[in-house]
Amino acid sequence: MDAVGFAIVALCMLVSASYVVRAANLIHAVLWLGVTLLTTAALYAMLGASFLAGVQALVYVGGVVTLMIFGVMITRKHDGLVVPADSGSPARGALVGGSFFALVAVAIRATPGLDVDVAAKAITPADLGRAFLGDQVLAFETLSVLLLGAMVGAIVIARRHDPGAPRRALGSRSSPVAARTAPEEARS
Amino acid sequence: MTLSTCLLLATALFSVGIYGLLTRRQVMAVLLCVELMANAANICFVAFSRFRGGVTGQVFASFSIAITVAEVAVGLAIVILLYRTRGDTRLDLASEMKE
Amino acid sequence: MTRPISLALVALLAPVVAALILAPIPALRKRGWPAAALCILGSVLSFGAAVALLVDTLKDSTPQTLAVPWVRSAGKVIAEAGVHVDGVAASMLVVVTLVALCVQVFSLGYMHDEPPPAFGRYFTYHALFLFSMNVLVVAPNLLQLFIGWELVGVTSYLLIGFYFRKPSAAHAAVKAFWVTKFADMGFLFGLLALFAASGSFGWDARLAPGAATAVTLLFFLAVVGKSAQFPLHVWLPDAMEGPTPVSALLHAATMVAAGVYLVVRANPLFAQSETTRSLMLGLGAGTALFAALLALVQTDIKKVLAYSTCSQLGYMVAALGAGSVLGGFFHLTTHAFFKALLFLAAGSAIHAVHSNEIGAMGGLAKKMPLTAGAFIIGALSLAGIPGFSGFFSKDLVLEAVEGKLGGVPWVLLLATAFLTAFYMGRVVFVAFFGEPSGEQAKHAHEPGWSMRAPLVVLAVLSLGLGYFAAPFARLHGEAYHFELGAGPIIGATLGIGGFVAAYAVFGRGKREAPPAVITWVDSIARTRAVNRLYDFGYRRVTMVLANALAWIDRYVVDGAINMLAYTTLEAGQEARPMQTGFAADYVMAVLAGVVCLAAWVVAR
Repeated sequence: MDAVGFAIVALCMLVSASYVVRAANLIHAVLWLGVTLLTTAALYAMLGASFLAGVQALVYVGGVVTLMIFGVMITRKHDGLVVPADSGSPARGALVGGSFFALVAVAIRATPGLDVDVAAKAITPADLGRAFLGDQVLAFETLSVLLLGAMVGAIVIARRHDPGAPRRALGSRSSPVAARTAPEEARS
Repeated sequence: MTLSTCLLLATALFSVGIYGLLTRRQVMAVLLCVELMANAANICFVAFSRFRGGVTGQVFASFSIAITVAEVAVGLAIVILLYRTRGDTRLDLASEMKE
Repeated sequence: MTRPISLALVALLAPVVAALILAPIPALRKRGWPAAALCILGSVLSFGAAVALLVDTLKDSTPQTLAVPWVRSAGKVIAEAGVHVDGVAASMLVVVTLVALCVQVFSLGYMHDEPPPAFGRYFTYHALFLFSMNVLVVAPNLLQLFIGWELVGVTSYLLIGFYFRKPSAAHAAVKAFWVTKFADMGFLFGLLALFAASGSFGWDARLAPGAATAVTLLFFLAVVGKSAQFPLHVWLPDAMEGPTPVSALLHAATMVAAGVYLVVRANPLFAQSETTRSLMLGLGAGTALFAALLALVQTDIKKVLAYSTCSQLGYMVAALGAGSVLGGFFHLTTHAFFKALLFLAAGSAIHAVHSNEIGAMGGLAKKMPLTAGAFIIGALSLAGIPGFSGFFSKDLVLEAVEGKLGGVPWVLLLATAFLTAFYMGRVVFVAFFGEPSGEQAKHAHEPGWSMRAPLVVLAVLSLGLGYFAAPFARLHGEAYHFELGAGPIIGATLGIGGFVAAYAVFGRGKREAPPAVITWVDSIARTRAVNRLYDFGYRRVTMVLANALAWIDRYVVDGAINMLAYTTLEAGQEARPMQTGFAADYVMAVLAGVVCLAAWVVAR
């Protein structure tokens, strides 16, 4: 039973992943990515990481995929939906990917002690919580700083540098705001 | 469902991601492939946590998710900037780095 | 410091002090007369000290040395510098300083027409030269002698090339320098061999026979060059391009005598090698005859004297080769005086007729009696006429050479004695007797006192020095006695006979075709065979080799470096297209690298 379930999950995952990389339509590709991530969540559940499965579904499928769809939509050309999405030489990619898989597979096969079937003690969210705020608290806090940095960075990179439509100050025409936009203009 | 099969599955996913990374022309598509590869790494983490015990695997899987999300955000910002300055996000046209 | 040592130091250092004052102060030199005054002052001091030293040494001739450590190697002192005073050094010092003083005083008149800057330069060089020669004479070991030797070479180059704007003079100076430098290789290698064989640069070492021969042969090469023996005689005639007083100093008395002095000094070494001595005897005698023949056909009075010097040096070298240090050195001393006298008198004649050619002179005895008298005294002394100094010194030489090497050198030297008298007679009768042959000769007159006084001094010495042979020998630690044997009689007869023959051919104004012998010798001399040989060696061998090496340096050595640079640049150019600018390519490269790494890890 166990094995069958695993086989189905694995199959779904790989098939959807292959659609991700081969779909001509980018929107489709993103949606197939969502499928892949969902099956991953299912795998996590099967592996006993229920909390992580939930996080995966929420964050990845709900957040990242949505973000990706926005990104694709904003940056596509408006003269046609279908954009040639593939470059030439799929052979090159296949070669590298294939050889990488082969190598690691050989390594995995060659390593003893990897054929365990027995589950270790189950891990509860409480355990995770204790770990986050106990042993791994430094990494946890650093991670929050990282997220802050990512946020600020994304904003700085993607903000508009041109003034765009002249902004109207809340009150007067010649205002501190107008004066403020001028140096901004000069700076960009 | 042994540890090695889980690892093989993760490796296969990673290899698919590599294929896409080298093949796709659109920047967004490349980002998707990077997502696949990060995901594969996460699977490894979780599998080890399950079969070897210890909470560290899952903890790091969570960290990895958070980091990947941050990376996606910044990456999207870059893509938007690229689109704004060029009008196009085709990767084979962005060759300014050539000597 | 004993009195002899301090006198020697004064003699050594007075000229260089003068030179050191003159060298950095161009104003003194450019005015002309201050340089002359300083130089002559230095020479007077030097001469005075030398005479006092000679007097002291006559009383007590034990050698004295003052030497300070100079060259150190691995903690030991291997060479010293300083002064070494004994009979040989004292007498040579007097000779050198006296001739130098006479020449410098003579130059006051002779070089009077030079512009002041040149005048000043001339006397500065003279001061330097005198110092260099003194360094050589009082050297306590062969290394310092070599230093003096080289300094003499440099200063003589400066003096020979004094009229450096004249191409022939510049070439002559370079030729002199080049030929003597080539010979100096022998000195250098000799020094190295000496040090290797004996661990020091002194001349007292006892060496194994083979080593002694090698060392002395190398030194002899230097002597051949410096004292213009065959085949390195070629620079001496050309060196007559220098001012005549310079020729009197360098090429009569001092520079060319340095070679002979070296052999005298290093006599303990040369005594250990019969081979070298035999070579010296043979080469000296051969050169004497060869040069005498060439002197016969010269029309330039200075060239006659130059070849004559060469010939007389051959006498000295032969005497030394026969083992008679006294003979060689005494002849050096008398030769210094009468040859300098001859050159200065010739200079006076040249100054009067504004030409070096004897053909432009004639009848000068009537117009310039003092000059003529001086020249004739010098010529008689050179020919070895009894009573004059040259007779006594030549007698010593002939005595020493007699019976050695199968008597061949003795015969050669006797033949040379005849030729010497003959060619000198030729010059005397053509230049000083007969009728004046041109306008200039008609209006010749005696020069001023500065040019006459040295002539008188040197004439007196040329006349009388022969009678001081006994004290001279005592300085050398040898005994002298004169016996009227076959040797001196034959020598005197040949000398007188030579003059008579010259009178027969050239006397009474006869200037028609010379005898067949002279024409024959002249045609051989005109081939300039030895010079052409050197020219060939230089152009065909040395220059070809030099050009080949230059080619190798430019194209092989530099070529290798350039090839390296070129290859690097080309490799860079080839590698440029790798940077395509496409992100996918870069990612591919990274992943390919990862795969390779993984493969390597797996394979281990």
